Amino acid sequence: MKKITIANRNNATYEVKGNKPLLLELRSLGVDLPYGCQYGGCITCAAKLIKGKVDQKSQVALNNRQINDGYVILCVARAKTDCTFDIGVESHDKLYRNPFIDPLAPHELKADIASFREIKND
Amino acid sequence: MEGLCCGPGYASPSEAIRAPSEKLLYTIAIYTGTGIQKPDYLATIDVDPKSESYSKVIHRLEMPGIGDELHHMGWNACSSCHDDKSMSRRYLLVPGVRSNNIYVVDTATNPKAPRIHKIIQGTEIKTKTNLSGPHTVHCLGSEIIISFLGDAKGEAPGGYLHLNKDFEILGRWENSMGDIPFSYDFWYQPRHNVMVSSEWAAPNTFMPGFDLEEVGHLKYGRRLHIWDFEKKRPIQTMYLGEDGLIPLEVKFLHNPNSSHGFCGAALSANVIHFWKTKNGSWEWEKIIDIDNEPHPDWPIPIPGVMSALLVSMDDKYLYINNWLHGDMRQYNITDPHNPVLTGQVWMGGLLGKAPIVNGVKIAGGPQMYQLSLDGKRMYVTTSLFSTWDNQFYPEIRTNGGVMLMINCDVKNGGMKINEDFVVNFGNEPNGPSRCHESRYPGGDCTSDIWL
Repeated sequence: MKKITIANRNNATYEVKGNKPLLLELRSLGVDLPYGCQYGGCITCAAKLIKGKVDQKSQVALNNRQINDGYVILCVARAKTDCTFDIGVESHDKLYRNPFIDPLAPHELKADIASFREIKND
Repeated sequence: MEGLCCGPGYASPSEAIRAPSEKLLYTIAIYTGTGIQKPDYLATIDVDPKSESYSKVIHRLEMPGIGDELHHMGWNACSSCHDDKSMSRRYLLVPGVRSNNIYVVDTATNPKAPRIHKIIQGTEIKTKTNLSGPHTVHCLGSEIIISFLGDAKGEAPGGYLHLNKDFEILGRWENSMGDIPFSYDFWYQPRHNVMVSSEWAAPNTFMPGFDLEEVGHLKYGRRLHIWDFEKKRPIQTMYLGEDGLIPLEVKFLHNPNSSHGFCGAALSANVIHFWKTKNGSWEWEKIIDIDNEPHPDWPIPIPGVMSALLVSMDDKYLYINNWLHGDMRQYNITDPHNPVLTGQVWMGGLLGKAPIVNGVKIAGGPQMYQLSLDGKRMYVTTSLFSTWDNQFYPEIRTNGGVMLMINCDVKNGGMKINEDFVVNFGNEPNGPSRCHESRYPGGDCTSDIWL
């Protein structure tokens, strides 16, 4: 079992098995979560991972900047360890960005079109 | 006048123009993506100036679950089956872009308080047709086709769902998608045996929000497609290139004999005009080009984002919006090669030209609009799509959407915002919602096609 803490819900904790998507597991425990497509494509259910590890390899909605900022698509992500999240739109402060004012670098695009970042050795 | 002859709609566009004025309209309002855990709903709005509840939401039909993102909708029947006594314009088909569900709404039993008649489950559509991301609904005679932007996994190009008049799934409508990379809107003109379709992007691309870089990576559309309507397959592609980035709404003139049509390229903020030549092939040209506008906080000028387009029933005026600039425009298209700007109004937008209209602070810009059959009253809403709203107009989360009405001068041209009409969706009982597409029970300027 994995312990899931929802930081922005008074640190409420839940025990999940980790063999199903977190959206399903948390909703079955009574957590009210936004969701849409339920296949990892639409971002409605995004939450911010503060601590822990998840497997969300089947998500296709997030670009690499959003992933680096900790976002997780709950409808497909499974908990690999105990995790702490902020959930709901209050966690979306970095999820949405004006694409003209704040463009993405090539390595920050979605995985299928991102280029690898050049790592310079001093 | 509707039903005077036999079936739904009107014998001709000129008969439609003489129909009585609308008294009600149905508008989609969403909570998906807003942080409010409530279902999206279909709002009934009183637009009868003699009524005490004029300019108010008088009924809300909530969907059974949350997270649909209701978006566009269409009728079960239109003037294309005007000769069929067994048909009536009674059911509104309301798809959820994210959930894939299609709600069939009965608007006839009690027009002020429509009710859900049937639900076509999104999972059933995926299983039977491998489609997701529903968008445009058109009826063709007594049957219905709906464009979908993706396959069941949200990848392009999607295709077309075919329903019978009892809303049962017949399967895929098209015989082939050819080499079409993306889907979005479509319109057909039966006397020319033609359908035209446009391109947004795969659901997996546009649903999470807009990354400008993905345009350069060819993740967004830049083509129009001409179909052999009877053979249900594409026959010609018009590559629009930089002139036609993200070609969204596509409309033919209402005159069923005409082959002239228009498409708004959202990111290029251009109007593309297309028509059939004497040898039967199709040509296109750019007829309107909205310049990007400088903004003190933006490193590059702001594109208009021409997300919708509409033709008046008399085929005299073309209406366009610039969602990020904040203006609605009216062009006289008597000569479709040479449109003439005849009207312009401002509401919201990022240029700061009209931040407050009729006492309401506008979050968003003019986005979806519907025009009365007589061409005189245009109802405009401000939300585009939940994730895109959140990127460009984050204040819409707390302010909600707004519906305004524009009085259009059909004789001399011109537009003026009606000072007596405003529906502030920021004041909805469950919290600020966002309004999108509208339809009028008796028909409007995007619901009818003539055979």
